[in-house]
Amino acid sequence: MLPTISRRVFVAGAAALPFLRIAQAQARTPGILTFGLSSYPPSIQPWANTGTVKLMIHRGLLSYDTKGALRPELAETWARDGSTAWLFKLRNAVFHNDEAVTSADVKWTLEQIAAEKSTAYFRSEMQGIDRIETPDQRTVRVVMKQPTATLSQWLASYHLPIISRKSDATQPIGAGPFVLKSQERGVALEVEAFPKYYRPGLPKLKGIRAIAYADENLRVAALQAGDVDLIEYVPWQSMETISNDPKLRLDATDGPFMYLLFNGTKPPFNDARARKAVAHAIKREDIVKAAFFGRGSPLTHLPIVDSSEFFNPELKEGWKYDLTLAKKLLADAGYPEGFRCSFLSTAQYGMHKDSAEVVQQNLAAIGIKAELNLPDWATRVTLGNRGQYDLAMGGTAADNNDPDGLANLIDGSLSPSYVRSFGVRVPKIEELLKAGRAEFDPAKRKTIYKEMESLAIAEAPVVGLAWRSQGYAMQRNVTGFKNLPGALSFNSGLTLEETAVG
Amino acid sequence: MLYYVVRRVGVAVGLVWFVATFVFLAIHLVPGDPAELLLSQGGVAPDPAAVTDLRERLGLDQPLLHQYAAYLTALVRGDLGTSLLDDHPVASEIALRLPRTLELIGTAALLALAVGLPAGTFAALRAGTASDRALSALAGIALSIPVFVLGTVAILVFAQKLRWVPAGGYVQFGRDPLQHLLVLAMPASTIAVGLAAIVFRMTRSSLLEVLGRDHVRAARARGIAPARIIMHHVVRNALTPVVTVLSLHLGSLLGGTVLVEYVFNWPGLSGYLVRAVELRDYPEVTGIVLVISILFVLLNLLVDLLYAVLDPRVRHA
Repeated sequence: MLPTISRRVFVAGAAALPFLRIAQAQARTPGILTFGLSSYPPSIQPWANTGTVKLMIHRGLLSYDTKGALRPELAETWARDGSTAWLFKLRNAVFHNDEAVTSADVKWTLEQIAAEKSTAYFRSEMQGIDRIETPDQRTVRVVMKQPTATLSQWLASYHLPIISRKSDATQPIGAGPFVLKSQERGVALEVEAFPKYYRPGLPKLKGIRAIAYADENLRVAALQAGDVDLIEYVPWQSMETISNDPKLRLDATDGPFMYLLFNGTKPPFNDARARKAVAHAIKREDIVKAAFFGRGSPLTHLPIVDSSEFFNPELKEGWKYDLTLAKKLLADAGYPEGFRCSFLSTAQYGMHKDSAEVVQQNLAAIGIKAELNLPDWATRVTLGNRGQYDLAMGGTAADNNDPDGLANLIDGSLSPSYVRSFGVRVPKIEELLKAGRAEFDPAKRKTIYKEMESLAIAEAPVVGLAWRSQGYAMQRNVTGFKNLPGALSFNSGLTLEETAVG
Repeated sequence: MLYYVVRRVGVAVGLVWFVATFVFLAIHLVPGDPAELLLSQGGVAPDPAAVTDLRERLGLDQPLLHQYAAYLTALVRGDLGTSLLDDHPVASEIALRLPRTLELIGTAALLALAVGLPAGTFAALRAGTASDRALSALAGIALSIPVFVLGTVAILVFAQKLRWVPAGGYVQFGRDPLQHLLVLAMPASTIAVGLAAIVFRMTRSSLLEVLGRDHVRAARARGIAPARIIMHHVVRNALTPVVTVLSLHLGSLLGGTVLVEYVFNWPGLSGYLVRAVELRDYPEVTGIVLVISILFVLLNLLVDLLYAVLDPRVRHA
């Protein structure tokens, strides 16, 4: 006979359920960090794509410390050698295949990046190399075609890891703190500590399990539920809740920013006065409030963080909100009544859409009727590259905290791109950027970039809107992980070697 | 009969060809360049020479007609191609993800039947009473709550507050069976809520209709026990429309679980399709849509052939 369950027993059992914590739901392995990523890396190709996972597996010649200063990685020391050359002394490090990192590997890597048919992000920069000399196994001498002060910044990028010359196309062999253990495509990947990593005692973790959570709310929920230890891209609306949660810690920095781009090949925005009128017509506090829940700050100058030595306090308010000035500029440009224009943004990302809507309302106040075009991101990129817009919304971070990192956005001599204004060329800015790149004296560089910024404010090749906060959040027992300052936030994966959990 | 079968199979093959062509054209005509997008990951501006080289390597520089011919030739050989992103074979990724989506839909359907059938029968037998009205109202509410709202609330309550289950994700059955079922529970239940309401409504109305038929009255008159009448004379007759409607809904769920997959981070086919469209990964998009439509066409073909077996009139029509 089957045992019978009385109604009372059933009800009592059901009432007890909430107290039966299912241990499996939060199963943990000591020393393993569970990392909630915002998306699964499209590929782990070392010289392109996003950085966090690459920074677990790979290291370059240089990188950044937690204050944002350059620090040695595979190169133990580096110095200028003559006007165009740089000398790198390699440290005693090994790749994941246990073979020593030699000058030949460095030469091979840089040549691969610069090669014909290469799809590496720094391809054109590395094509500026005249030759690479390898006098011995541990010495690399890079001779540039022109004096290049920014080479060290480039070599610190996560887009420039050094890989073994024995790597094949699908299996890059790195020398980073972790080794790729397994991949479940689109879902998760696991890395384990590399015991022969060149920094003694590091990495502190035994391994990392990185799981992609595309939905930002679920990513936060997973952190709050204790499923993961650390998450990236904390959504702005959740930052308040996370900071108030005693079990969690938020680490956020103003790094990426929103800005406006123009089509300079046709009226009205081929006229700097019309561009500048737009710059003075926008109440940036509203963007910070509407798109970023107050987690950001207005940006009324070029995106140079105020902690940078290149920050110019006197230009800080360069594009401040001033309706009278905006209207005057518009009238001077020949549009006293305003005009109609198309305004490209994307509906795929809330921040692009919300920022565009605020700008649209602000522009209406000076008679500019901007018609929003909100396609998906892929279309937005194509339309941007082809210049099929009058005005467009942009959102990005500079390559690094050096002002040369802004060349990507304002150097009109570069190829057309969705991150740059279309056909807006200010020859003097291009010259100054070139001069800054070739200048090694810090004081002279400062003067050059100050002139460049004041010119940019007058000519408005792009217009800054708002800094946005870039945040990581973690359980209180996660230590050692640090969000790198400003534009370097996306390099924060570097600190995973110092990270410990529990 | 043979002629009928041959004709139906012919139509099915034609349909698949039409879908293959249509999807191919549609995704290629939508603006957005895969090579450009691939090298623009992370908001960077790629070197245009690199974009040109990548386009060449992926064969995207060929005239559309060439690409179409290559695509059809490969298709005939059963080759769905490889992802533009990382050269991963599309067919193996579909083979990995389709069972996950089928598992989700299957579990949801079982849950929906387990709840909807008894509740619908109960309501039909007590038509017009307060409990019938209460159940109908409940079904109305269940139908009108969007899955993403239900899913988000479920995560808040069961994962964040009660901590009974993980907030989402996927664990392979082989790796940890219990954990696998735990993470399956929430998304499957979320889909099941709406489905159960549909099953409930169909069961109730279909049962009411059958209850009023003459053969039921005759059975009652013959003194057959009420329970036996319900089981043998009513429910069996009433089930056909329920099953038809349910299978139609399940078919549309094949590509339509995207919201649930997104909210619960379930790595199924729908989410894969959306990601492929976002990245303009042509072979992935065409491959997934093709597989889904072949499943649809096969399902229809099967039903058509079954009708023909069941009803001779269809064969000669």
